[in-house]
Amino acid sequence: MKIVGVAACTVGIAHTYIAQEKMENAGKKAGHEIAIETQGTIGTENELSSQQIQEADIVILAADVKIAGRERFEGKRIIQVPTDVAVKSPNKLIKKAEEVLKQKQAQ
Amino acid sequence: MNDNSLFQIYFDSDLETKEQVYDFISEIACAHASFQQKQDIIHQLNEREKAGSPLIAEHVLLPHIESEHVIESQIILFRLAKPMHWDETIEDIRMIIAILLKKGEEEAIKKKMAGFTRSLADEDYVERLLNVEEIEFHKEIIKIREES
Repeated sequence: MKIVGVAACTVGIAHTYIAQEKMENAGKKAGHEIAIETQGTIGTENELSSQQIQEADIVILAADVKIAGRERFEGKRIIQVPTDVAVKSPNKLIKKAEEVLKQKQAQ
Repeated sequence: MNDNSLFQIYFDSDLETKEQVYDFISEIACAHASFQQKQDIIHQLNEREKAGSPLIAEHVLLPHIESEHVIESQIILFRLAKPMHWDETIEDIRMIIAILLKKGEEEAIKKKMAGFTRSLADEDYVERLLNVEEIEFHKEIIKIREES
């Protein structure tokens, strides 16, 4: 499964980067290809390319604030959660992404 | 700013309540500022908490703010002498990592701080910070400081 996502929190110095690391680690551990863009105090890092977005099976937005460029994900299956979900339960979040995709494929 | 002063470590801290922790942090954030400015820092910390839980791992809190009242950006680590009851929903806290970001801080410092917070995604690293002795604790922080 190919996952892309964005992490963004209010101050943009803490949860943003922990959420990114945790989601990427959990995704890779589960055998998926995953790339998470951060929108933090430093600005946008690890910016997703249009090809990455196009090829993604699912999008995870771990955000406590409005993210920039949400329109890039139009038409994609999106899971949106607060950053603390990605920080505290990254494995569960990846599992949820797998389930959502399974449901989509079953339709 | 001097990179060495970015981290402050309080090992075996005897702080016992959330109020004591936020008071202490506000003193560090703006030592010579007015009472009102310190109250603003405490208010910001409380507001950030309302926006989302500061709990990042079992036993670990990460309160953080960005403020014009912060004189120098800092990462303040408290390894508590005794587990702390934080509030009705959070208890058994053993380590508090407070991040104070000065408004308009330079990018190089922000990157160092972000590098450190990324390291907190590593559960083994956090586990070590929770359990090692004081000398090792300092070494773990120095290691991350040099890497980030």
